[in-house]
Amino acid sequence: MNTMPKPPRRDWTIIVLMLMLAALVIASFASLPLKWREFFTADAVRSTLELLAGFTPPETGLPFLTKTFWATLETLAMSGLGTLLAVIFGLAFSLPASGRFGAAPRAAMRAVLNVLRSIPELVWASIMLIAAGLGPLGGTLALAAHTAGVLGRLFADSLENAAPLPEQSLRTNGASATAAFFYATLPQTLPQMMSYTLYRWENNIRAAAILGVVGAGGLGQMLKYHLSLFQMPLAATVILAMLLLVALVDGISFALRRVLTR
Amino acid sequence: MLELRQLSKSYNGRPVLDRLTWNFKAGEFVAIMGDSGVGKSTLLNLIAGLDTPDATPGESPIIVDGSPMSGLDDDAATKLRRARMGFIFQAFHVLPHLTLLQNVALPLLLNGMPTARAAEMLDAVGLAGREHDFPHQISGGQMQRVAIARALVHRPALVLADEPTGNLDPDTADAILTLLQREIKATGACAIMVTHSQLAAQKTDKILHLSKTGLKETTTSIRLRNN
Repeated sequence: MNTMPKPPRRDWTIIVLMLMLAALVIASFASLPLKWREFFTADAVRSTLELLAGFTPPETGLPFLTKTFWATLETLAMSGLGTLLAVIFGLAFSLPASGRFGAAPRAAMRAVLNVLRSIPELVWASIMLIAAGLGPLGGTLALAAHTAGVLGRLFADSLENAAPLPEQSLRTNGASATAAFFYATLPQTLPQMMSYTLYRWENNIRAAAILGVVGAGGLGQMLKYHLSLFQMPLAATVILAMLLLVALVDGISFALRRVLTR
Repeated sequence: MLELRQLSKSYNGRPVLDRLTWNFKAGEFVAIMGDSGVGKSTLLNLIAGLDTPDATPGESPIIVDGSPMSGLDDDAATKLRRARMGFIFQAFHVLPHLTLLQNVALPLLLNGMPTARAAEMLDAVGLAGREHDFPHQISGGQMQRVAIARALVHRPALVLADEPTGNLDPDTADAILTLLQREIKATGACAIMVTHSQLAAQKTDKILHLSKTGLKETTTSIRLRNN
């Protein structure tokens, strides 16, 4: 006669962990002074609608549109150049971080990359603005510093995960270490690296728009300026330009990544 | 062509190869057989300069085409392999992102030689017209043909093959070995093939058996006896 196997023993660890997680969520809400009722009072709703109404209609005068266009280009240039610098430094950092020069350089470079990417773009921008002054250069350097940390780590992981046999085979055939890397390992990882780069470029477009708020030029700086003067129609035009730019870059990046991963 | 003089290798004090001595001649196709773990692949690695033999007083235990392998630093050993040796592996090791022509041309590029011969070699191994195909578009047998073309394209003095037919069916293996035999004779290289297959070994000029007591010629191959 067949006997049914015994059911597995109940694992209490997961239940205890879930209960602890629930307790943490409840404690978080209880400790924050969230005044939910005040969000939905008639006064709150009225002032929100007044604020939103102030944004319409957006400013469409040619001089302002021209100014917004140049700021859009500045934001695009900041994100593009910041990403390009990040790719160059990220690739250079990824070589030691992938363990190609031994365990000690790997650990040291990974620590550097952790620091670079742990500091948010806004904090980097505040530091860079002190060093480079107000304007797009500081913003570009801030984007480059944070993104180099992110891309350096992602590139290093890609290099570590690449199949080692092609490079070993080329080394056996008498290729120098550099030639073997460029002919065997880099081409394997290049589509993935390109995909990571495009994704980070998308993020940097959004970040570049925000960085202007701390004085790093572009659309963000315009937005901060007009909001602080309560020129809501002008601010609305800037916000629309930001939305269009992000949508455009997202679309291009998505299409390119699809081609690369096909 | 290749001289082994009292070649020894041990790992953690455990001897793997013990005072091997043999003289391989140019134009000779030799099979090395032996039990698993006896040191066949170690021997190939030592000949290729990918591993270092135990230190021996006096002359180098490995001499390739008149050049002693001992004392060469990594850079010099790499240059010697690039110019004078060709390799064929069981798993083909063809680069997937390069076309067949680019794969075959690679040793020529690395040696700074004109690449025109790559197309000739692809033609010689029966892959004319497939120059611009990628490795994923061809069969395992065809990939090993590409590997043979790549190993011989720069006219190396020494070809080292590690189980080149291990991943192929018997008919394809036979065709590949016939091709290898023909191309080795055409280029005048010395070829050493490590194999477990008696059928593959029968295609060579000489079969050597590697054991703890050293290298010993066991059987002159059927092909040679028939000749």
